[in-house]
Amino acid sequence: MMAGEGISRTPLSQRSPEQIIEAELSWISSMVLFFSTVYAVLKLDILWIAFGIAAISLYILPIISMRDPFRALPWEMTILLSAPMLLHISEGSRALMQHVAWWNDFTSVAFAFSLATIGFLLTVELQMYTSVKMNRPFAVFFVIMFTVAVAGFWQVGEFVGDQISGTSHLGTNADVMKILVWSFAGGMIMGFVYDLYIRAMSESRRKTLGLIHLWEVTDWRRS
Amino acid sequence: MEEKLKLISRGMQAGMVGIAVAGVVTGNLTWVPAALISLFFAEIPSLLRRDMHLVLPLEINLWIVLALFLHVASGFSGFYDHVPGWDHITHMMSASLIGALGFVVVVTIDKYVDSIYLPRPFLAFFVVTFTMAMGVMWEIMEYGNDALTGSHLQYSLADTMYDLLFDGFAGIVVAIVGAQYLTRVTPEHFVESLNVEGTKRRIGVLGKRRSARP
Repeated sequence: MMAGEGISRTPLSQRSPEQIIEAELSWISSMVLFFSTVYAVLKLDILWIAFGIAAISLYILPIISMRDPFRALPWEMTILLSAPMLLHISEGSRALMQHVAWWNDFTSVAFAFSLATIGFLLTVELQMYTSVKMNRPFAVFFVIMFTVAVAGFWQVGEFVGDQISGTSHLGTNADVMKILVWSFAGGMIMGFVYDLYIRAMSESRRKTLGLIHLWEVTDWRRS
Repeated sequence: MEEKLKLISRGMQAGMVGIAVAGVVTGNLTWVPAALISLFFAEIPSLLRRDMHLVLPLEINLWIVLALFLHVASGFSGFYDHVPGWDHITHMMSASLIGALGFVVVVTIDKYVDSIYLPRPFLAFFVVTFTMAMGVMWEIMEYGNDALTGSHLQYSLADTMYDLLFDGFAGIVVAIVGAQYLTRVTPEHFVESLNVEGTKRRIGVLGKRRSARP
């Protein structure tokens, strides 16, 4: 659908209750993302500011370009996007880290899933707004590479920050390597999960979102 | 120019043979397997050319031999142990090599797969991503190796982080050089110079030969 012509907005009364609830869930999660980013800005937490701005841009771009708040991303994706940020700023999560052995791994997985989600949204939105074209295998490969690479750059960024400010947020080599292992595992899982997710998504939802089907438009029917 | 580059490659290969021989003669066997494996790797571009008709750019061939030679030579001569930071330099060389090979593959895919179109800025972005991801996987491999066999491939957090830092740096350099290169040479010309068509035909011939067997 091109901007300008035929932006037909369905009146609210014609939307099904599920559609409205799903959209509301997505808006609420995006608010979490937004306020977490504001919090990161206030604390000058540079890496998380970058993460928040990237995630919010990818969230808001389809809404703005199609001028329709119902083009919001699926709520499950928005939750995946905002979860690691909420975990990062939450004091409760910090306390759990000290008392629950697997909590660190849990946050690492949440982080990996959100990076993979950003990677996936990049494959979709690059095709919507630029001349980039990918097919399914390449998109899956890109999601995996993107997740692992950003996790790597992230650790380097944390390391540089530690060096500059004399802190040691990173912990030991094993701590960092575990995060990277989880990012690799999470990226692998989500790369293929998003492939299945697109195939499994019902056509009506695909239409409402008007967004996801662009991941290899031509032959999604054949799968 | 071409002859000169080839001569340099040959010189470095001779150096690796020398290291293997010297290692055996002096009984200092630590670096002999690495030298032999590196000699084999250094021959792979020639094998690809002979058997698959695939022509890698001369610069990449030289880079392959240089990275292997520096690794073996600095291990054998004790450079790794005595010059601080030297391992990061060789690490960056191999990272840039992986990045360059990734670049070659992605440009070829871009040209040959109709459902894929990657404009130059995205290509550069992808090369950085790919190089960094490969670097992270390398570190994961080292970490796993250390955990399973008790080896000491990773010295410290700082060492690992500097490796990753240099991986990222190498990726960015290769992306810039690659993007610059494609402003001078079109992707079509580049892929043509690799003789991918010839390789495709060669694979077709090999496939037919196999299926013709009783």
